[in-house]
Amino acid sequence: MNKKMRLWNKLTLISLALILVLTACASNTKKEEASKAPPASVAPSPSEKAEEPEEAAKGGELTYALATSPDLLDPHVSRVAVSVRVLRTIYDSLVVQDADGSIKPWLATEWELAPDSKSYTFKLRKDVKFHDGTPFNAEAVKYNFDRILDPTTKAANAAALIRPYVSSDIIDEFTIKLNLATPSADFLGNLSQALVGIVSPTAAKKFGDQFGRNPVGSGPFKFVKWDDNAQINVERNPDYNWGPSNVDNKSAANLDTISFKIIPEEATRLGSVQSNQVQAAESIPPQNILSLKKEDKLQLLQVNTNGLPYTLFINQRKKPWNELKARQALQYGIDVTTIVQTLYLGTYEQAWSPISPGLLGYDKSLENGIKLDIDKANSLLDEIGWVKGKDGLREKDGKKLTLHYVDSSPNREKRNDIAAIVQQQLKKIGITVEVEITKDVLNSVFVKDGYDIFGNSQTNSDPNALFAFYHSLVKIVGGGNIPGVLDPELDDLLNKGAVEQDNTKRVEIYKQAQQLIINKAYIIPIYVFPYTVAASKTVTGLKFDALGYPLFNDVSITK
Amino acid sequence: MTKLILVRLSTSLLVILGSLVLVFIIIYLLPGDPVLQMLDPNTATPEDIANLRHQLGLDKSFVSQFLTYANQMLHGDFGKSILNSEPVLPKIIKHFPDTLALTLASSLISAAVGIFLGVLSAIHRNSWIDIVTRIVGLFGISMPSFWSGILLILIFSVHFGWFPAMGSDGWKTLVLPAFTLGIVGSGFIVRMVRNSMLEVINEQFILTLRSKGLSERLVMYRHALRNALIPAITMIGVLVGELMAGAVVIETVFSRQGIGRIVSDALMAKDLPVVQGVVFFSAIIYVLVNLLVDLSYSVIDPRVRRAH
Repeated sequence: MNKKMRLWNKLTLISLALILVLTACASNTKKEEASKAPPASVAPSPSEKAEEPEEAAKGGELTYALATSPDLLDPHVSRVAVSVRVLRTIYDSLVVQDADGSIKPWLATEWELAPDSKSYTFKLRKDVKFHDGTPFNAEAVKYNFDRILDPTTKAANAAALIRPYVSSDIIDEFTIKLNLATPSADFLGNLSQALVGIVSPTAAKKFGDQFGRNPVGSGPFKFVKWDDNAQINVERNPDYNWGPSNVDNKSAANLDTISFKIIPEEATRLGSVQSNQVQAAESIPPQNILSLKKEDKLQLLQVNTNGLPYTLFINQRKKPWNELKARQALQYGIDVTTIVQTLYLGTYEQAWSPISPGLLGYDKSLENGIKLDIDKANSLLDEIGWVKGKDGLREKDGKKLTLHYVDSSPNREKRNDIAAIVQQQLKKIGITVEVEITKDVLNSVFVKDGYDIFGNSQTNSDPNALFAFYHSLVKIVGGGNIPGVLDPELDDLLNKGAVEQDNTKRVEIYKQAQQLIINKAYIIPIYVFPYTVAASKTVTGLKFDALGYPLFNDVSITK
Repeated sequence: MTKLILVRLSTSLLVILGSLVLVFIIIYLLPGDPVLQMLDPNTATPEDIANLRHQLGLDKSFVSQFLTYANQMLHGDFGKSILNSEPVLPKIIKHFPDTLALTLASSLISAAVGIFLGVLSAIHRNSWIDIVTRIVGLFGISMPSFWSGILLILIFSVHFGWFPAMGSDGWKTLVLPAFTLGIVGSGFIVRMVRNSMLEVINEQFILTLRSKGLSERLVMYRHALRNALIPAITMIGVLVGELMAGAVVIETVFSRQGIGRIVSDALMAKDLPVVQGVVFFSAIIYVLVNLLVDLSYSVIDPRVRRAH
């Protein structure tokens, strides 16, 4: 008995001591933080956007949690969208795309399109220097474009973005002519993308294939260090004075440093911003968006990304989906509104068109067009001879109607759940859906043509994005033309849209293309992906570019 | 004693060689083509694919690929990452201390908590202390570590704000992940220590010691525990492997640096040289730990020493 008591006393003592130590730690950190904080004096009201940028609080470190790790910080070679969040701080582009879609000057002050539409002559800024001191000039621009074309660079998306580019002529130190193989309506706009950001030629030559780990650009922030899987640090470029038109602060950034923390686990990312270990975190899942809105210390920033929304592409090369009525039956049999409402709780917008609402030429008239209609779906399938058997499943010539549904992302934005719901919904009209989730897209999906439906999305700044997905000419090893469309009428529209320089005419062309794609039931658009950031209310001035990527030029931290 | 060390060393070497072969075969047989993974589906041509395959030596026969690979690995050249051409071995060596710190801290927690609770529940067999301890141990084993990790973040980071939710700098960031992993390990050790303590307690020599008038505490901690520890230490050797595997999940949950993180990222990207490198490296560490465990028996238990 006595022994037991003694043991218990010990236990109690130990746990008491533990609690004391823990609480002591906690109060210590709070004191430290309080003493570190500078006197709150220059803080502008957090709710108003800074009308006078001079008054924005200078200094401070922003910690920003990314959901995945960038692969490389070489804009020309990087293959993942998450890199762009960091690339945008380090690199500038020749031009910028404003919120309304128009193209404005940045490193290039003005430009002229040749009468044959096959070359652009750019006048460049004369006061720009890269972080390593290399001057920015026509030579640097030529180096960049040739670097993207050079196969040894292994440029991924950048090469596709500048595709008709063939060569460049240096006219004088600050004038350059870029020559195109064919006229291109989206070439200029594509130059605004971070993936065509301008790198320092000196650094790119010096570091070779290690440039992506030692990035040097001319942007508002300089690269400092990269701890694998932990963080990427950048610091203010004090000489910066050439900010683009989509930010207020054209000169050096307010922040001293930005530390991009890599936090793949959703709950941890959220926990880090709630516990104020980071001040902003990206990719907040829908179920947390609603509860976060109630937290008074946090703000939620959400912006729709542009390009092709998440879309189910129906494979035309497969029977019976080569028949219009079969595809229409899917259109009427899948209740997209319910899917989007159930999974995203009203935080995502439903997509109605093959392109996102923010793109040039988006056809608003398609909205609320095709709705769930089970009877119609059933009769369409009856009409083409697929009749329901005793088990409620459709068959024709002794074959069951099955649909092989493939998605390549391990439940990014609940895409696997979409597949599961579609499976349930299509059962009602007698279609058996086999779902396959695989990352090995090229081999198992495209090369072997092994899908009836494939779900995908793409970020893009121009409706010409449709070309790579729907034009019959696109036949690159796997990929391209996912729905396998062979439609001369659509080809014609996409050809015209790719070269048309008059925006009013382009809008008309792309409206027709969108209607055609929906009316012929080549696809089922699902949702427009919003980029969502939860940030502490002390963070002000966070903006987003035309594609939905964050811009840090105007950010300041108030106390 | 020397013979024991020699035998153990040579079997360890065999295990390492075996793991080298196994890792290569598994990755060779893995479905999916790394070349197709590396190229951009929108721009790659068949020639690009063939060129890259040749460049990586993937067009050679299985045997010649293996010989090249084994030769390089045994010379300490673990190759370069496909993704960013970073040499693999320096990368592993740079990140290993983070994983080592996590593994050591969680082993210590497992051992301390596990042995303490194990002894406690054996001494108080069938009392409520025993029942509670066993339930706690079972709980520790059955909770998925990513779940308990997130739970700890919610309680100690978001709610109390005591420890950081993520990162790998300083001891404070080590606390939550080490406990998360430690809980799992302690669950196993509690059961092991309890069982072997119970066996030992019923042996004759304990009765002798008691009848000689030794204090109960001395009997339990000095004599019974010492004899009960051998299976527990074996368990700890196995646990180190368990914990290193657990690091893959925990390092991701807590956004720590470390080789677990490296391998999970490399798997996602099918960056095979990195995967092979980390798996082979971990195999070596595991074998070394078990070698140490084996040798430590002879220190703790004189019977083992005499047997050789």
